[in-house]
Amino acid sequence: MPAYHSIFLDEPNQQLIGNFALLPLRTRTRGPAQTLPALPADISELDVDPSSESYDPLDEVLSLFRANTFFRNFEIKGPADRVLIYGILFVSEALSKIRPGMSRREAEKSVFNVSLDTNFAIPGDAGFPLNQAYEPPRDRNEAEALRQYIMQMRQELAVRLLNRVYADPSGQPSKWWLSFQKRKFMGKQL
Amino acid sequence: MANHTPAVVMDNGTGYSKLGFAGNDSPSFVFPTAIATKGPTGGAGGSGSGRPAVANKPTFLTGGAGGHLSGKRGTEDLDFFIGDEALTAASGPGYGLHYPIRHGQIENWDHMERFWSNSMFKYLRVEPEDHHFLLTEPPLNPPENRENTAEIMFESFNCAGLYIAVQAVLALAASWTSSKVQDRSLTGTVIDSGEGVTHVIPVAEGYVIGSSIKSIPIAGRDITYFVQSMLRDRGEPDSSLKTAERIKEEHCYVSPDIVKEFARFDREPADRFKAFDARQPGGRTVTVDVGYERFLAPEIFFNPEIYSSDFLTPLPNIVDTTIQTSPIDVRRGLYKNIVLSGGSTLYKDFGRRLQRDIRHLVDERIKLSEAKAGNAAKSGGLDVQVITHKRQRHGPWFGGSLLGQTPEFKSYCHTKAEYEEIGPSIVRRFALLGGPGSS
Ligand SMILES: Nc1ncnc2c1ncn2[C@@H]1O[C@H](COP(=O)(O)OP(=O)(O)OP(=O)(O)O)[C@@H](O)[C@H]1O
Ligand SMILES: [Mg+2]
Repeated sequence: MPAYHSIFLDEPNQQLIGNFALLPLRTRTRGPAQTLPALPADISELDVDPSSESYDPLDEVLSLFRANTFFRNFEIKGPADRVLIYGILFVSEALSKIRPGMSRREAEKSVFNVSLDTNFAIPGDAGFPLNQAYEPPRDRNEAEALRQYIMQMRQELAVRLLNRVYADPSGQPSKWWLSFQKRKFMGKQL
Repeated sequence: MANHTPAVVMDNGTGYSKLGFAGNDSPSFVFPTAIATKGPTGGAGGSGSGRPAVANKPTFLTGGAGGHLSGKRGTEDLDFFIGDEALTAASGPGYGLHYPIRHGQIENWDHMERFWSNSMFKYLRVEPEDHHFLLTEPPLNPPENRENTAEIMFESFNCAGLYIAVQAVLALAASWTSSKVQDRSLTGTVIDSGEGVTHVIPVAEGYVIGSSIKSIPIAGRDITYFVQSMLRDRGEPDSSLKTAERIKEEHCYVSPDIVKEFARFDREPADRFKAFDARQPGGRTVTVDVGYERFLAPEIFFNPEIYSSDFLTPLPNIVDTTIQTSPIDVRRGLYKNIVLSGGSTLYKDFGRRLQRDIRHLVDERIKLSEAKAGNAAKSGGLDVQVITHKRQRHGPWFGGSLLGQTPEFKSYCHTKAEYEEIGPSIVRRFALLGGPGSS
């Protein structure tokens, strides 16, 4: 049983830019992503079942993050796997901004600092670490749409990650999550 | 005299030695296969003599006729400790710690002889000339090693009789105590995982199918290291090997699926996370939190990639390949009786996961071949059964205890007289104990 793949690989009618899938997201941030229905009141964001109509690729990123960061090898099986990889690498980056003992407010500050920064590399940019596996957008319009979509992923992931790291009523960041700061999925970082 | 005394059963493993008497339910002594001698510790691996490797032949035997141990040595040679006492002695000044067995095979014969000597005289308190001995060996042990063992047993210790059995065959016999095992068969696949290696050994009617044996470089020690690395990543207050090992033995288990298991920790934290009180040298106690290593550490058997970068094949695949490369007429028996043995198979649900994963591999292959042959050729499937049983922990020792108490055991041993007549090569062959036709 190697690293886990995305269950969205078989999703019909995927909108692609290059070989990256713009899958629907459950988010209120603005951007090109189609939006999925909000979670029913009785379902916690920390435990959404994959069969739920609200389950999105970012739920998947956070549920596979801890398992997949133990793996260096990953055979990409389709566009949805590229969403998964990007998400996991972004979670690693965001996580690395949280120090033990930081209050939630301080952690939000440093994580949002990263997630709201518009200056990040997308496939095709020189600074993008996975250009061998990701095709660049064909033109400026596509590049802009892709950037917007990834921006939505980053913002939404930042919020959901903080909810997980600060799930404990003590107000302290989870040492269990922080112990993953040094692990690099596929040996890469953004 | 030796006809009325119980046989002595000694299973000397890489990590632990199991010593006791045939007929008993459990060994009288289980302690590290370690010896502390005057002088510095052995090489980095914790084994060997600290000197450059010497020829396989024990040097102390080459000079003249063998005599009794104490006759050949100066008194300083008696200044040593074995087992737990060795660990204690070596933690102070003056003594070096050595592990004479590496990867299941004896590497330092001088240390091993002294280890046996102490085992018999100080711990078991037996006169070797009054007892028959059942010793164990790993699969594919070179015949020279058997001969060296015989020389020491007969010439240094004068033991009355000697039988050397392959650990895997004994482990099969040990599983006869399980209710799942209907026929007392010596056909099956043994998975023996201890401290240093994990062997997968197919056995047909008591004989090891040597060409199909596989071993994997992942065993108890690696799982301990993995736990230790996770404790360090979190900066726990104690991440010593000792603590990691205790946590491993007390808290680790095999999960069906690691992603689901992470989710379970999120959902039921109070139930899943544990705490371990680690005593410190000064007497103080610190609390070490125990988390995901509970299921991730044993997962390295099933997903070696999370631990190792060069060895990547999961244990279930190794077992499947071992059986597939064995003669076709015994495969059914090998799948039906997969027997666990050794300390590192004790994780909760280890057998269940292994059975599920092997079944999955077998079913996939059958489906493929049926699809190729068209629907006409339904095979009726293949029974895959992994046997978990009560004597698993000291499987080889317990199997030795079982077979060593049978009435015919002593007649299967080679005696001191036979040894003197024929020489060490006599131990290259033993008749099969517990095989067809025996009681
Ligand atoms: N309850 C347990 N759960 C998990 N591991 C255990 C348990 N009890 C013992 N072990 C581990 O089993 C190993 C020792 O097993 P065993 O006595 O079968 O090995 P050995 O025979 O000395 O070594 P080898 O077979 O490699 O030569 C150690 O790594 C120990 O930590
Ligand atoms: Mg052993």
